[in-house]
Amino acid sequence: MLPIDAAAHSSRWRRRHPLEKAVLGVGLTVTAVCLPPWPGGPIVAAATLALLLGPAGVAGRQLWRAFRIPLGFCFTGALPLLFSVGGPAGFVAMAPDGPRHAAELLLRTSAASLGVLLFAFTTPVSDVLPRLVRAGVPAPVVDVALVMYRIGFLLLDSLARVRQAQAARLGNTGRAAAWRSVAGLAATSFVRAFDRAARLQSGLAGRGYDGTLRVLVPETALSRRFLAGTAALLASLVAVTLVLKELYL
Amino acid sequence: MHIAEGFLPPLHAVAWGAASAPFVLHGVRALTREVKANPESTLLLGAAGAFTFVLSALKIPSVTGSCSHPTGTGLGAILFRPPVMAVLGTITLLFQALLLAHGGLTTLGANVFSMAVAGPWAGYAVYRLLRGTRAPLMVAVFFGAFFADLVTYCVTSVQLALAFPDQATGFTGSLVKFGEIFALTQIPLAVSEGLLTVLVVRLLMQSSKSDLIRLGVAKLTSGKANQEATVR
Repeated sequence: MLPIDAAAHSSRWRRRHPLEKAVLGVGLTVTAVCLPPWPGGPIVAAATLALLLGPAGVAGRQLWRAFRIPLGFCFTGALPLLFSVGGPAGFVAMAPDGPRHAAELLLRTSAASLGVLLFAFTTPVSDVLPRLVRAGVPAPVVDVALVMYRIGFLLLDSLARVRQAQAARLGNTGRAAAWRSVAGLAATSFVRAFDRAARLQSGLAGRGYDGTLRVLVPETALSRRFLAGTAALLASLVAVTLVLKELYL
Repeated sequence: MHIAEGFLPPLHAVAWGAASAPFVLHGVRALTREVKANPESTLLLGAAGAFTFVLSALKIPSVTGSCSHPTGTGLGAILFRPPVMAVLGTITLLFQALLLAHGGLTTLGANVFSMAVAGPWAGYAVYRLLRGTRAPLMVAVFFGAFFADLVTYCVTSVQLALAFPDQATGFTGSLVKFGEIFALTQIPLAVSEGLLTVLVVRLLMQSSKSDLIRLGVAKLTSGKANQEATVR
Protein backbone atom coordinates (compact mmCIF):
# COMPACT_ATOMS: atom_id res chain seq x y z
CA MET A 1 0.00 0.00 0.00
CA LEU A 2 1.22 3.50 -0.76
CA PRO A 3 2.19 5.67 2.26
CA ILE A 4 -0.60 8.26 1.89
CA ASP A 5 -3.31 5.60 1.62
CA ALA A 6 -1.81 3.60 4.49
CA ALA A 7 -1.91 6.74 6.66
CA ALA A 8 -5.52 7.39 5.58
CA HIS A 9 -6.58 3.92 6.74
CA SER A 10 -5.39 4.65 10.28
CA SER A 11 -6.44 8.30 10.26
CA ARG A 12 -8.26 9.84 13.22
CA TRP A 13 -10.94 10.99 10.77
CA ARG A 14 -11.29 7.62 9.03
CA ARG A 15 -14.84 7.06 10.32
CA ARG A 16 -16.04 10.46 9.14
CA HIS A 17 -18.16 10.52 5.98
CA PRO A 18 -15.93 11.01 2.87
CA LEU A 19 -18.21 13.80 1.66
CA GLU A 20 -17.45 15.85 4.79
CA LYS A 21 -13.71 15.50 4.19
CA ALA A 22 -14.11 16.17 0.47
CA VAL A 23 -16.01 19.40 1.16
CA LEU A 24 -13.29 20.50 3.59
CA GLY A 25 -10.19 19.41 1.59
CA VAL A 26 -11.42 20.33 -1.88
CA GLY A 27 -13.05 23.47 -0.46
CA LEU A 28 -9.70 24.62 0.93
CA THR A 29 -8.01 23.83 -2.41
CA VAL A 30 -10.59 25.77 -4.42
CA THR A 31 -10.37 28.66 -1.93
CA ALA A 32 -6.58 28.73 -2.34
CA VAL A 33 -6.89 28.74 -6.13
CA CYS A 34 -9.60 31.42 -6.27
CA LEU A 35 -8.33 33.88 -3.65
CA PRO A 36 -5.53 36.37 -4.37
CA PRO A 37 -2.26 34.46 -3.67
CA TRP A 38 -1.12 37.20 -1.31
CA PRO A 39 -2.30 37.11 1.43
CA GLY A 40 -4.73 34.27 0.57
CA GLY A 41 -2.09 31.57 0.00
CA PRO A 42 -0.35 31.79 3.39
CA ILE A 43 -3.66 32.17 5.27
CA VAL A 44 -5.25 29.11 3.63
CA ALA A 45 -1.99 27.13 3.96
CA ALA A 46 -1.74 27.97 7.68
CA ALA A 47 -5.36 26.94 8.31
CA THR A 48 -4.92 23.67 6.37
CA LEU A 49 -1.65 22.87 8.16
CA ALA A 50 -3.33 23.52 11.53
CA LEU A 51 -6.14 21.10 10.59
CA LEU A 52 -3.73 18.46 9.25
CA LEU A 53 -1.40 18.46 12.25
CA GLY A 54 -4.13 19.17 14.83
CA PRO A 55 -7.61 17.61 14.58
CA ALA A 56 -6.77 15.27 11.65
CA GLY A 57 -3.71 13.96 13.52
CA VAL A 58 -1.41 13.55 10.51
CA ALA A 59 2.22 12.99 11.53
CA GLY A 60 4.43 15.94 10.53
CA ARG A 61 7.11 13.72 9.02
CA GLN A 62 4.64 11.80 6.85
CA LEU A 63 3.09 15.06 5.71
CA TRP A 64 6.48 16.53 4.76
CA ARG A 65 7.40 13.39 2.79
CA ALA A 66 4.20 13.67 0.77
CA PHE A 67 4.25 17.48 0.49
CA ARG A 68 7.83 17.79 -0.77
CA ILE A 69 6.83 16.09 -4.06
CA PRO A 70 4.31 18.73 -5.20
CA LEU A 71 6.53 21.42 -3.65
CA GLY A 72 9.41 20.32 -5.90
CA PHE A 73 7.13 20.47 -8.95
CA CYS A 74 5.95 23.94 -7.88
CA PHE A 75 9.53 25.23 -7.60
CA THR A 76 10.64 23.89 -10.98
CA GLY A 77 7.36 25.02 -12.54
CA ALA A 78 7.75 28.56 -11.20
CA LEU A 79 11.32 29.00 -12.54
CA PRO A 80 10.31 29.74 -16.18
CA LEU A 81 8.22 32.68 -14.96
CA LEU A 82 11.43 34.45 -13.91
CA PHE A 83 12.51 34.80 -17.56
CA SER A 84 11.15 36.53 -20.61
CA VAL A 85 11.85 35.30 -24.15
CA GLY A 86 12.13 37.36 -27.34
CA GLY A 87 11.36 40.77 -25.84
CA PRO A 88 13.16 44.11 -26.40
CA ALA A 89 15.68 43.26 -23.63
CA GLY A 90 17.14 40.37 -25.62
CA PHE A 91 16.31 36.79 -26.54
CA VAL A 92 16.36 35.68 -22.90
CA ALA A 93 16.12 38.28 -20.13
CA MET A 94 14.86 38.50 -16.57
CA ALA A 95 11.11 39.23 -16.60
CA PRO A 96 10.39 42.53 -14.78
CA ASP A 97 7.53 41.08 -12.69
CA GLY A 98 8.90 37.53 -12.85
CA PRO A 99 9.86 37.08 -9.18
CA ARG A 100 6.47 38.38 -8.03
CA HIS A 101 4.56 36.06 -10.39
CA ALA A 102 6.73 33.08 -9.41
CA ALA A 103 6.24 33.81 -5.68
CA GLU A 104 2.46 34.15 -6.15
CA LEU A 105 2.35 30.86 -8.03
CA LEU A 106 4.35 29.14 -5.29
CA LEU A 107 2.01 30.45 -2.59
CA ARG A 108 -1.09 29.36 -4.52
CA THR A 109 0.14 25.88 -5.48
CA SER A 110 1.52 25.02 -2.05
CA ALA A 111 -1.71 26.08 -0.30
CA ALA A 112 -3.83 24.18 -2.86
CA SER A 113 -1.67 21.03 -2.57
CA LEU A 114 -2.12 20.99 1.21
CA GLY A 115 -5.92 20.99 0.74
CA VAL A 116 -5.76 17.86 -1.44
CA LEU A 117 -3.36 16.24 1.03
CA LEU A 118 -5.86 16.88 3.84
CA PHE A 119 -8.44 14.86 1.93
CA ALA A 120 -5.95 12.16 0.83
CA PHE A 121 -4.45 11.69 4.31
CA THR A 122 -7.85 11.21 5.97
CA THR A 123 -9.83 9.29 3.33
CA PRO A 124 -8.72 5.95 1.87
CA VAL A 125 -9.54 5.61 -1.83
CA SER A 126 -11.41 2.39 -1.01
CA ASP A 127 -13.92 4.47 1.02
CA VAL A 128 -14.50 6.89 -1.86
CA LEU A 129 -14.85 4.59 -4.89
CA PRO A 130 -18.00 2.60 -3.95
CA ARG A 131 -19.78 5.85 -3.03
CA LEU A 132 -19.15 7.34 -6.48
CA VAL A 133 -22.07 5.30 -7.87
CA ARG A 134 -24.42 7.35 -5.68
CA ALA A 135 -22.77 10.49 -7.06
CA GLY A 136 -23.81 9.46 -10.59
CA VAL A 137 -20.66 7.77 -11.91
CA PRO A 138 -21.72 4.69 -13.97
CA ALA A 139 -21.30 1.45 -11.98
CA PRO A 140 -19.08 -0.25 -14.63
CA VAL A 141 -16.56 2.62 -14.41
CA VAL A 142 -16.50 2.38 -10.61
CA ASP A 143 -16.04 -1.40 -10.84
CA VAL A 144 -13.09 -0.97 -13.22
CA ALA A 145 -11.58 1.63 -10.84
CA LEU A 146 -12.03 -0.78 -7.90
CA VAL A 147 -10.23 -3.57 -9.77
CA MET A 148 -7.49 -1.12 -10.80
CA TYR A 149 -7.04 -0.04 -7.19
CA ARG A 150 -6.80 -3.60 -5.89
CA ILE A 151 -4.60 -5.05 -8.64
CA GLY A 152 -2.45 -1.89 -8.71
CA PHE A 153 -1.06 -2.44 -5.20
CA LEU A 154 -0.33 -6.10 -5.85
CA LEU A 155 1.46 -5.19 -9.07
CA LEU A 156 3.53 -2.50 -7.35
CA ASP A 157 4.49 -5.04 -4.73
CA SER A 158 5.56 -7.67 -7.27
CA LEU A 159 7.33 -4.96 -9.29
CA ALA A 160 9.46 -4.09 -6.24
CA ARG A 161 10.38 -7.77 -5.80
CA VAL A 162 11.24 -8.27 -9.49
CA ARG A 163 13.38 -5.10 -9.33
CA GLN A 164 15.23 -6.49 -6.29
CA ALA A 165 15.81 -9.79 -8.08
CA GLN A 166 17.08 -7.99 -11.19
CA ALA A 167 19.47 -5.89 -9.09
CA ALA A 168 20.74 -9.03 -7.32
CA ARG A 169 21.50 -10.52 -10.75
CA LEU A 170 23.45 -7.41 -11.81
CA GLY A 171 20.54 -6.26 -13.98
CA ASN A 172 21.36 -2.58 -13.53
CA THR A 173 25.13 -2.60 -13.97
CA GLY A 174 25.25 -1.21 -17.52
CA ARG A 175 23.02 0.88 -19.75
CA ALA A 176 22.00 -2.08 -21.93
CA ALA A 177 21.27 -4.22 -18.87
CA ALA A 178 19.20 -1.39 -17.34
CA TRP A 179 17.11 -1.11 -20.53
CA ARG A 180 16.57 -4.89 -20.60
CA SER A 181 15.56 -4.86 -16.94
CA VAL A 182 13.03 -2.02 -17.32
CA ALA A 183 11.48 -3.63 -20.41
CA GLY A 184 11.32 -6.93 -18.51
CA LEU A 185 9.64 -5.19 -15.58
CA ALA A 186 6.97 -3.61 -17.78
CA ALA A 187 6.29 -6.85 -19.66
CA THR A 188 6.15 -8.84 -16.40
CA SER A 189 3.65 -6.41 -14.89
CA PHE A 190 1.47 -6.69 -18.04
CA VAL A 191 1.51 -10.50 -17.89
CA ARG A 192 0.89 -10.57 -14.13
CA ALA A 193 -1.96 -8.02 -14.36
CA PHE A 194 -3.84 -10.10 -16.92
CA ASP A 195 -3.00 -13.36 -15.16
CA ARG A 196 -4.36 -11.99 -11.89
CA ALA A 197 -7.49 -10.69 -13.64
CA ALA A 198 -8.09 -14.11 -15.20
CA ARG A 199 -7.73 -15.84 -11.80
CA LEU A 200 -9.99 -13.25 -10.17
CA GLN A 201 -12.50 -13.88 -12.94
CA SER A 202 -12.56 -17.65 -12.40
CA GLY A 203 -12.75 -17.17 -8.62
CA LEU A 204 -15.69 -14.78 -8.94
CA ALA A 205 -17.40 -17.01 -11.54
CA GLY A 206 -17.41 -19.79 -8.94
CA ARG A 207 -19.27 -17.46 -6.58
CA GLY A 208 -21.99 -16.46 -9.06
CA TYR A 209 -20.40 -13.31 -10.53
CA ASP A 210 -23.05 -11.37 -12.45
CA GLY A 211 -20.94 -8.45 -13.59
CA THR A 212 -21.18 -6.24 -10.52
CA LEU A 213 -18.62 -6.12 -7.75
CA ARG A 214 -20.47 -5.68 -4.50
CA VAL A 215 -18.41 -4.37 -1.59
CA LEU A 216 -19.41 -3.51 1.96
CA VAL A 217 -19.50 0.22 2.56
CA PRO A 218 -19.45 1.17 6.26
CA GLU A 219 -22.51 3.26 7.05
CA THR A 220 -21.57 6.70 8.31
CA ALA A 221 -23.89 9.62 8.81
CA LEU A 222 -23.11 13.09 7.52
CA SER A 223 -22.33 15.45 10.38
CA ARG A 224 -24.15 18.74 9.94
CA ARG A 225 -21.92 20.24 12.62
CA PHE A 226 -18.80 19.34 10.65
CA LEU A 227 -20.26 20.72 7.43
CA ALA A 228 -21.35 23.93 9.15
CA GLY A 229 -17.87 24.29 10.67
CA THR A 230 -16.32 23.78 7.23
CA ALA A 231 -18.57 26.43 5.68
CA ALA A 232 -17.74 28.85 8.52
CA LEU A 233 -14.00 28.20 8.14
CA LEU A 234 -14.04 28.72 4.37
CA ALA A 235 -16.15 31.87 4.69
CA SER A 236 -13.85 33.31 7.36
CA LEU A 237 -10.74 32.54 5.23
CA VAL A 238 -12.28 34.41 2.31
CA ALA A 239 -13.35 37.31 4.53
CA VAL A 240 -9.98 37.65 6.31
CA THR A 241 -8.07 37.53 3.01
CA LEU A 242 -10.26 40.15 1.35
CA VAL A 243 -10.22 42.44 4.40
CA LEU A 244 -6.43 42.21 4.76
CA LYS A 245 -6.03 42.87 1.05
CA GLU A 246 -8.29 45.92 1.25
CA LEU A 247 -6.63 47.30 4.37
CA TYR A 248 -2.94 46.79 3.66
CA LEU A 249 -2.41 46.14 -0.04
CA MET B 1 4.61 16.67 -17.00
CA HIS B 2 1.69 16.52 -14.59
CA ILE B 3 0.53 20.08 -13.98
CA ALA B 4 0.66 20.44 -10.20
CA GLU B 5 -2.30 21.25 -7.96
CA GLY B 6 -3.28 24.91 -8.04
CA PHE B 7 -0.93 25.70 -10.92
CA LEU B 8 -3.67 26.84 -13.32
CA PRO B 9 -5.94 29.85 -12.75
CA PRO B 10 -9.58 28.86 -11.99
CA LEU B 11 -10.95 29.74 -15.44
CA HIS B 12 -8.28 27.68 -17.21
CA ALA B 13 -8.87 24.73 -14.90
CA VAL B 14 -12.61 24.80 -15.67
CA ALA B 15 -12.05 25.29 -19.42
CA TRP B 16 -9.67 22.31 -19.71
CA GLY B 17 -12.10 20.23 -17.67
CA ALA B 18 -14.84 21.13 -20.14
CA ALA B 19 -12.56 20.33 -23.10
CA SER B 20 -11.76 16.87 -21.71
CA ALA B 21 -15.32 16.01 -20.70
CA PRO B 22 -16.67 14.93 -24.15
CA PHE B 23 -13.73 12.56 -24.70
CA VAL B 24 -14.04 11.05 -21.24
CA LEU B 25 -17.84 10.70 -21.62
CA HIS B 26 -17.34 9.03 -25.00
CA GLY B 27 -14.89 6.64 -23.34
CA VAL B 28 -17.29 6.00 -20.45
CA ARG B 29 -20.05 5.09 -22.93
CA ALA B 30 -17.69 2.76 -24.84
CA LEU B 31 -16.53 1.14 -21.60
CA THR B 32 -20.09 0.76 -20.22
CA ARG B 33 -21.25 -0.83 -23.51
CA GLU B 34 -18.31 -3.23 -23.44
CA VAL B 35 -18.91 -4.22 -19.80
CA LYS B 36 -22.65 -4.73 -20.38
CA ALA B 37 -21.96 -6.93 -23.42
CA ASN B 38 -19.15 -8.90 -21.70
CA PRO B 39 -19.34 -8.62 -17.87
CA GLU B 40 -15.99 -10.43 -17.52
CA SER B 41 -14.23 -7.55 -19.32
CA THR B 42 -14.50 -5.49 -16.08
CA LEU B 43 -11.59 -7.46 -14.72
CA LEU B 44 -9.55 -7.22 -17.92
CA LEU B 45 -10.13 -3.46 -18.13
CA GLY B 46 -9.19 -3.17 -14.45
CA ALA B 47 -6.00 -5.09 -15.19
CA ALA B 48 -5.30 -2.78 -18.14
CA GLY B 49 -5.82 0.26 -15.91
CA ALA B 50 -3.63 -1.16 -13.16
CA PHE B 51 -0.91 -1.79 -15.75
CA THR B 52 -1.17 1.86 -16.88
CA PHE B 53 -0.92 3.02 -13.25
CA VAL B 54 2.09 0.79 -12.59
CA LEU B 55 3.90 2.01 -15.73
CA SER B 56 4.30 5.40 -14.06
CA ALA B 57 6.25 3.67 -11.26
CA LEU B 58 8.93 2.48 -13.68
CA LYS B 59 12.12 4.49 -13.97
CA ILE B 60 13.51 4.68 -17.51
CA PRO B 61 17.10 5.69 -18.25
CA SER B 62 16.98 8.82 -20.41
CA VAL B 63 19.25 9.41 -23.39
CA THR B 64 20.66 12.45 -21.58
CA GLY B 65 21.71 10.31 -18.62
CA SER B 66 18.95 11.34 -16.25
CA CYS B 67 16.05 9.17 -15.22
CA SER B 68 12.31 9.60 -15.63
CA HIS B 69 9.11 7.55 -15.78
CA PRO B 70 7.17 6.60 -18.91
CA THR B 71 3.75 8.12 -19.55
CA GLY B 72 2.42 4.83 -20.90
CA THR B 73 -0.03 6.78 -23.08
CA GLY B 74 1.31 5.37 -26.36
CA LEU B 75 1.46 1.77 -25.19
CA GLY B 76 -1.97 2.08 -23.57
CA ALA B 77 -3.54 3.56 -26.72
CA ILE B 78 -1.99 0.87 -28.96
CA LEU B 79 -3.13 -1.95 -26.67
CA PHE B 80 -6.52 -0.70 -25.47
CA ARG B 81 -7.58 2.06 -27.98
CA PRO B 82 -7.91 5.80 -27.19
CA PRO B 83 -11.57 5.92 -25.99
CA VAL B 84 -10.89 3.33 -23.27
CA MET B 85 -7.56 5.03 -22.50
CA ALA B 86 -9.44 8.30 -21.84
CA VAL B 87 -11.31 6.60 -18.97
CA LEU B 88 -8.40 4.51 -17.70
CA GLY B 89 -6.11 7.56 -17.95
CA THR B 90 -8.58 9.69 -16.00
CA ILE B 91 -8.83 7.10 -13.21
CA THR B 92 -5.02 6.73 -13.21
CA LEU B 93 -4.55 10.49 -12.93
CA LEU B 94 -7.07 10.62 -10.08
CA PHE B 95 -5.20 7.85 -8.26
CA GLN B 96 -1.88 9.62 -8.87
CA ALA B 97 -3.28 12.87 -7.44
CA LEU B 98 -4.69 11.17 -4.31
CA LEU B 99 -2.15 8.42 -3.67
CA LEU B 100 1.11 9.94 -4.92
CA ALA B 101 0.45 13.72 -4.78
CA HIS B 102 1.32 13.90 -8.51
CA GLY B 103 -0.89 16.30 -10.46
CA GLY B 104 -4.01 17.55 -8.73
CA LEU B 105 -7.77 17.75 -8.60
CA THR B 106 -8.20 21.29 -9.96
CA THR B 107 -5.70 20.50 -12.74
CA LEU B 108 -7.23 17.07 -13.45
CA GLY B 109 -9.06 18.35 -16.55
CA ALA B 110 -5.88 19.81 -18.06
CA ASN B 111 -3.84 16.70 -17.25
CA VAL B 112 -6.58 14.44 -18.65
CA PHE B 113 -6.62 16.47 -21.87
CA SER B 114 -2.85 16.20 -22.41
CA MET B 115 -2.18 12.69 -21.07
CA ALA B 116 -5.41 10.75 -21.53
CA VAL B 117 -6.84 12.42 -24.65
CA ALA B 118 -4.33 14.25 -26.89
CA GLY B 119 -1.35 11.93 -26.32
CA PRO B 120 -3.20 8.63 -26.82
CA TRP B 121 -5.14 9.88 -29.88
CA ALA B 122 -2.00 11.29 -31.54
CA GLY B 123 0.05 8.17 -30.79
CA TYR B 124 -2.72 5.86 -31.97
CA ALA B 125 -3.21 7.90 -35.17
CA VAL B 126 0.51 7.62 -36.02
CA TYR B 127 0.48 3.90 -35.17
CA ARG B 128 -2.56 3.22 -37.39
CA LEU B 129 -1.14 5.35 -40.19
CA LEU B 130 2.13 3.43 -40.21
CA ARG B 131 0.38 0.08 -39.92
CA GLY B 132 -1.78 1.15 -42.86
CA THR B 133 1.34 1.68 -44.94
CA ARG B 134 2.50 -1.86 -44.02
CA ALA B 135 5.33 -0.56 -41.84
CA PRO B 136 6.78 -3.22 -39.51
CA LEU B 137 4.95 -3.52 -36.19
CA MET B 138 7.94 -2.37 -34.14
CA VAL B 139 8.45 0.76 -36.26
CA ALA B 140 4.77 1.65 -35.84
CA VAL B 141 5.00 0.96 -32.08
CA PHE B 142 8.11 3.15 -31.70
CA PHE B 143 6.63 6.13 -33.54
CA GLY B 144 3.23 5.66 -31.86
CA ALA B 145 4.81 5.83 -28.40
CA PHE B 146 7.22 8.62 -29.43
CA PHE B 147 4.47 10.87 -30.79
CA ALA B 148 2.08 10.10 -27.91
CA ASP B 149 4.77 11.29 -25.53
CA LEU B 150 5.75 14.31 -27.60
CA VAL B 151 2.17 15.49 -28.21
CA THR B 152 1.48 15.16 -24.47
CA TYR B 153 4.37 17.56 -23.79
CA CYS B 154 3.37 19.94 -26.61
CA VAL B 155 -0.19 20.17 -25.27
CA THR B 156 1.16 20.74 -21.75
CA SER B 157 3.34 23.57 -23.16
CA VAL B 158 0.28 25.15 -24.78
CA GLN B 159 -1.69 24.83 -21.53
CA LEU B 160 1.11 26.52 -19.54
CA ALA B 161 1.68 29.20 -22.19
CA LEU B 162 -2.03 30.07 -22.18
CA ALA B 163 -2.02 30.28 -18.38
CA PHE B 164 1.23 32.24 -18.09
CA PRO B 165 1.72 34.44 -21.18
CA ASP B 166 5.12 36.12 -21.43
CA GLN B 167 5.09 39.72 -20.16
CA ALA B 168 6.84 41.03 -23.27
CA THR B 169 5.80 38.70 -26.07
CA GLY B 170 2.53 37.19 -24.82
CA PHE B 171 1.37 33.68 -25.67
CA THR B 172 3.92 33.10 -28.47
CA GLY B 173 6.92 34.01 -26.34
CA SER B 174 5.64 31.87 -23.51
CA LEU B 175 5.03 28.92 -25.86
CA VAL B 176 8.60 29.24 -27.15
CA LYS B 177 9.86 29.38 -23.54
CA PHE B 178 7.97 26.31 -22.31
CA GLY B 179 8.52 24.51 -25.64
CA GLU B 180 12.30 25.01 -25.41
CA ILE B 181 12.41 23.74 -21.83
CA PHE B 182 10.32 20.70 -22.72
CA ALA B 183 12.25 20.09 -25.98
CA LEU B 184 15.56 19.92 -24.07
CA THR B 185 14.28 17.45 -21.53
CA GLN B 186 11.39 15.65 -23.17
CA ILE B 187 12.55 14.80 -26.71
CA PRO B 188 15.19 12.44 -25.25
CA LEU B 189 12.51 11.06 -22.93
CA ALA B 190 10.12 10.54 -25.83
CA VAL B 191 12.88 8.60 -27.66
CA SER B 192 13.47 6.58 -24.48
CA GLU B 193 9.78 5.81 -24.13
CA GLY B 194 9.58 4.77 -27.80
CA LEU B 195 12.51 2.39 -27.32
CA LEU B 196 11.08 1.02 -24.06
CA THR B 197 7.68 0.44 -25.68
CA VAL B 198 9.32 -1.50 -28.53
CA LEU B 199 11.20 -3.67 -26.01
CA VAL B 200 8.00 -4.28 -24.02
CA VAL B 201 5.97 -5.23 -27.12
CA ARG B 202 8.79 -7.54 -28.27
CA LEU B 203 8.77 -9.30 -24.90
CA LEU B 204 4.97 -9.52 -24.97
CA MET B 205 5.11 -11.07 -28.45
CA GLN B 206 7.16 -13.85 -26.90
CA SER B 207 5.27 -14.31 -23.63
CA SER B 208 1.65 -13.17 -24.24
CA LYS B 209 1.03 -13.32 -27.96
CA SER B 210 -2.50 -14.62 -27.41
CA ASP B 211 -3.33 -11.47 -25.42
CA LEU B 212 -1.87 -9.26 -28.17
CA ILE B 213 -3.92 -11.12 -30.80
CA ARG B 214 -7.07 -10.66 -28.70
CA LEU B 215 -6.27 -6.94 -28.38
CA GLY B 216 -5.76 -6.70 -32.16
CA VAL B 217 -2.08 -5.69 -31.96
CA ALA B 218 -0.62 -8.93 -33.37
CA LYS B 219 -2.05 -11.17 -36.06
CA LEU B 220 -2.19 -14.93 -36.19
CA THR B 221 0.76 -16.25 -38.16
CA SER B 222 -0.16 -18.55 -41.05
CA GLY B 223 1.14 -21.60 -39.18
CA LYS B 224 -1.02 -20.84 -36.15
CA ALA B 225 -3.99 -19.94 -38.35
CA ASN B 226 -3.73 -23.32 -40.07
CA GLN B 227 -3.48 -25.01 -36.68
CA GLU B 228 -6.61 -23.21 -35.46
CA ALA B 229 -8.47 -24.08 -38.66
CA THR B 230 -7.49 -27.72 -38.18
CA VAL B 231 -8.74 -27.64 -34.58
CA ARG B 232 -12.06 -26.17 -35.72
